Amino acid sequence: VSIDPSPVAAPEAEPPQLTGEDTARLRDRSRVHQARRHHRRWQLLWLLAGPGILAMLGENDGPSMIAYASDGAQYGLGFFVPLIPALFALAFVTQEMCMRVGAVTHRGFGALVLQRYGRVWGWFGAADLVLTNLVTLVAEFVAIRVGLAYFHLGSVVAVALGLALVAFTLSGGRYWRWERVVLGLALFNGLFLVAAILVKPHVGAVVSSFGFRPLPGGSLNTLLLLLASTVGATVTPWMIFFQQSASADKGMTARDIRHGRSDTALGAVLAAVFGIGALIAGAALLAHHGSGIQGFAGGGFPEALRRVAGRGAGAVFALGLVEAGAVAILTICASTAYAAGECAGLSRSFNASPRHATVFYAANLGAALLAASVILIPGAPLLSIVLNANVLATVLLPVSLVFVVMLASDRQLMGPWANTRTANAIGITVVALVGLCGATYGIDSFLQTTHLIGL
Amino acid sequence: MTANEEPFSHLEPGQLVAETSQPVSRAALRRRAVFGLWGLRVFVILVSLMVIYTFIDQLH
Repeated sequence: VSIDPSPVAAPEAEPPQLTGEDTARLRDRSRVHQARRHHRRWQLLWLLAGPGILAMLGENDGPSMIAYASDGAQYGLGFFVPLIPALFALAFVTQEMCMRVGAVTHRGFGALVLQRYGRVWGWFGAADLVLTNLVTLVAEFVAIRVGLAYFHLGSVVAVALGLALVAFTLSGGRYWRWERVVLGLALFNGLFLVAAILVKPHVGAVVSSFGFRPLPGGSLNTLLLLLASTVGATVTPWMIFFQQSASADKGMTARDIRHGRSDTALGAVLAAVFGIGALIAGAALLAHHGSGIQGFAGGGFPEALRRVAGRGAGAVFALGLVEAGAVAILTICASTAYAAGECAGLSRSFNASPRHATVFYAANLGAALLAASVILIPGAPLLSIVLNANVLATVLLPVSLVFVVMLASDRQLMGPWANTRTANAIGITVVALVGLCGATYGIDSFLQTTHLIGL
Repeated sequence: MTANEEPFSHLEPGQLVAETSQPVSRAALRRRAVFGLWGLRVFVILVSLMVIYTFIDQLH
């Protein structure tokens, strides 16, 4: 295949048949065209922003924010404050490639892998995505439940809220509307920064924590495990599927790559800042020995924060968890729906009506329903599911990453927008790092479980 | 938009549904790449089995 970047037709050519999906996308593209033509730089940025910010802030999900806060509560700021921006820089490298491939080929990740590398890899990637997505979605509903528990609201309210949001965002029949609603919600990820301010951290300690230092009291084994789980909280298979498919659905083209980069970079910066906010809020509990908020057992995290830093900090952190879970549910369900439509070879766009994209809408809502039903099962092993979500995502991530690098460096597909040698070297390094972390984490957990090494 | 400007000219040909529903051609992979992908498949399945075993063990 070769991608022709020229406009759709010469004036004398026969006008193409436009579907409803084409017409909706055309409306968005006309606005981009007008903004570019009149040199309205800020309007252009506003119109082209979206997939990058959503992928990055979507990954600042419930389990990730609790993980950052727990890291702060157990280890303080020193190791993690510099690590979080470094990991989001790593996420930027892979997400920029996804955006670029989506903008140049106008196709989603699942469709391209399936068509370019065969059905086995296509379905393998989709199965990997569905598995990790369902597990992560359960974790997101748990995060909403944890946040709402602070306000004495239970699981049923959490499920109703999550499902209502998915149904509401799907009701518009336009990608633009879906994106703007989710973007508006995603900005409330900044609540974690507010929580950090409310705990009144020592500014000098925060600034000095940017000087990298080893993990206090951590062995190499602990460090590797910690790295693996944190990498799993920063780059995931759903982000890859989501950003490439959303960039194509938005109608981005090769001309928009520069703005797509800005969008992705802005998302990475915001996600890193808000992640550090959660870490600082959690570090307020350091002097209180973490107050028993190990991992996701931190159902009482907002409550612990209230005791240490006041009602405001607890409430803001709880609301932040609700937001983080809600936005992740919307973006992860979207990535599942894109993958389902792409692998089935059927319509997969928010710009298509539910009648024309039944599989896409059914997968979107179905994924949320399935995950929601799990958290309503009495005695379901939620803690174990949540703890293993990031492990599984990290272990399966190299498959998606390898194909991102292969697609982005495919000259036949990407033409002049293919990866440079430097970009390939960085991409391969990222794949190797993630593969090593995932393998170490998976093998170590297995060996400990089978008592082949000491616990 | 000016009067003589066709509205569909703001879409690239590859963006139309009629075009994106056509599959792209299969990539011709070198033998080394095929081996690498098989290695990746074995690696991922092995490590995934370990994680699933750990998960099931944690349930008890």
